[in-house]
Amino acid sequence: MKKTLIVLLMIFAAGCAKKHLPPPQEPAVQKETVKKETVEPVKKEFVKEVVEPKEAKLQESAVIAKAEEPSVLKDVLFDYDKYNIRDDARPVLDTVSSFLKKNGTINVVIEGHCDERGTNEYNLALGEKRAKAAKDYLTSLGVMPARLSIITYGEEKPLCTEQNETCWQKNRRAHFVVTGK
Amino acid sequence: MKSQQSETRSKGSGIRGLISNFKFQIFIFLLITCHLSLVTVSDAKVYIDITSPAIQKLPISITAKGAPEAKEIESIIINDLDFTGLFSFVAPEVPGAEIIVRSDVDVSLNEITVLWSIIDLVENKEALKKRNTASRKSIRAIAHNISNDIYKFITEKEGVFRTKISYLVSVSPGNKELYLMDWDGYSPIKVIPVGLTSSHAWSNDSRFLIYSSERNRAWKIYFFDINDFREIVLFSSNGLNLVGNSSPRDEIAFSSSKDGNSEIYTINKDGSNLRKLTHSFGIDVSPVFSPDGSSIALVSDRGGSPQIYIMDSNGSGIRRITFEGSYNTSPTWSPDGKWIAYTGMKDGKNQIFMVKSDGTGLRQLTFNGNNESPSLSPDGLFLAFDSDRDGKRGIYIMRLNGDEQRRITPKDTKAMAPKWSPYFN
Repeated sequence: MKKTLIVLLMIFAAGCAKKHLPPPQEPAVQKETVKKETVEPVKKEFVKEVVEPKEAKLQESAVIAKAEEPSVLKDVLFDYDKYNIRDDARPVLDTVSSFLKKNGTINVVIEGHCDERGTNEYNLALGEKRAKAAKDYLTSLGVMPARLSIITYGEEKPLCTEQNETCWQKNRRAHFVVTGK
Repeated sequence: MKSQQSETRSKGSGIRGLISNFKFQIFIFLLITCHLSLVTVSDAKVYIDITSPAIQKLPISITAKGAPEAKEIESIIINDLDFTGLFSFVAPEVPGAEIIVRSDVDVSLNEITVLWSIIDLVENKEALKKRNTASRKSIRAIAHNISNDIYKFITEKEGVFRTKISYLVSVSPGNKELYLMDWDGYSPIKVIPVGLTSSHAWSNDSRFLIYSSERNRAWKIYFFDINDFREIVLFSSNGLNLVGNSSPRDEIAFSSSKDGNSEIYTINKDGSNLRKLTHSFGIDVSPVFSPDGSSIALVSDRGGSPQIYIMDSNGSGIRRITFEGSYNTSPTWSPDGKWIAYTGMKDGKNQIFMVKSDGTGLRQLTFNGNNESPSLSPDGLFLAFDSDRDGKRGIYIMRLNGDEQRRITPKDTKAMAPKWSPYFN
């Protein structure tokens, strides 16, 4: 088992090292230099793996999204422990659908959220079901699925932190975030 | 939250610094294993039979002298043994003890040495004598080691005093960090500082933490090697990937919605042999292998509400085992494989219950506040869980009979989801 992991790490390390090594200009490099160069990138890569380079891009777009977030993209609300689209959510989704059809270059991430009751892990699965229900509804209205991605945050990012039904209802939501074009 | 993330990114060295600190602490932890047995007992006597239904507490006297650190060592050992409920403590000058543990603590520039012995007063003999040496900073570890030796001498069972608990700390909405601490709440170490970490588990050899984190809108399953302080990705796909636990054969059970719906999978720890075990429309999540690896407990809402089910580890023979209440989640096995502890909602609050794996013998273990995320100690005698009974959520431990409920994380830390490690060898 230990060996397998070591092998795995080595494969991973080798892969990373290759990617980051500059093309060998002179084949006859001194041994010590080679050693240094191969070790360094590996370490860096592990740190990078923790915070992927994509993040910068995503954060930029998130900032843009915040500034321009269209007010037509209202939250879709759900019943406790449920992920079916309620009747009162249909007009909300219809509006989102027409907005997306009018703005063909915009993509959205649908975030699924839950209230704090229940357990964290199950709520992550529930939040994903909610995001997916919203996505499926929009797809059924003719929005291209490729324009809609989903992510669940379960109960981890509440809008409201009081312990009452008004607040819990606000948190049981599918939330739309524009991710750019 | 975003500014924090970018701060972490700009300071890659921050993570590295943290990891090297972690390495240092693990290094210290490993040092502890150098101890010397000076007296070996051949005629083993069981002073306390912990399998007996009515246990008489053993009167014991524990005393340490020598360096100023002696008092601390003495109190750690007493605290360890006291939590088991198997001992009554007798002051050294008072008669009545059947066992005396005497320690002599010597501290040099870098090292701490404890020479200690167990004296059986009934048979009037020195029954065990040992010397433990470690780095000076490892006082707690050296004391826990001695507690384990005393416990094993008395009960002939492994003690849990060298085990660890992994858990999550909520720093801000959407940010949860993975930590490790000693079983008694001391010596916390931050393992994974970035993103939102959720489910987590120990490998059977206590060398790896396996966990699910959300980073950049992707839920992946990671391995962290606590000897090599390295993280690798075990599983990554679209959708939500939540780790359950590891089987004795090092297969990992997890849930994934890679095909759109959350289903149960297993995979070998090298990433090979992915197997899909469930095929239902609803939510299937939180799979946990039984200790012998033959069964998997999970949460499913296929019956209309989240309930605990058990299936064979190949996915066949699924059956429901919880019928009380409409919200039962977070299953975990007892080490003997006979019981499932879980979180169930009762009267609007989450409480911890235990039920036999055939669905009988239901009993409620907690009653105050919301209590969630049960995890049993490797000897099956204690339970770690989180609770908001004192305000902010924190980690608690208790005996399985409900006695000795203790908060082991600080009041001002929002801590949750404890996972008790296997034994550290």
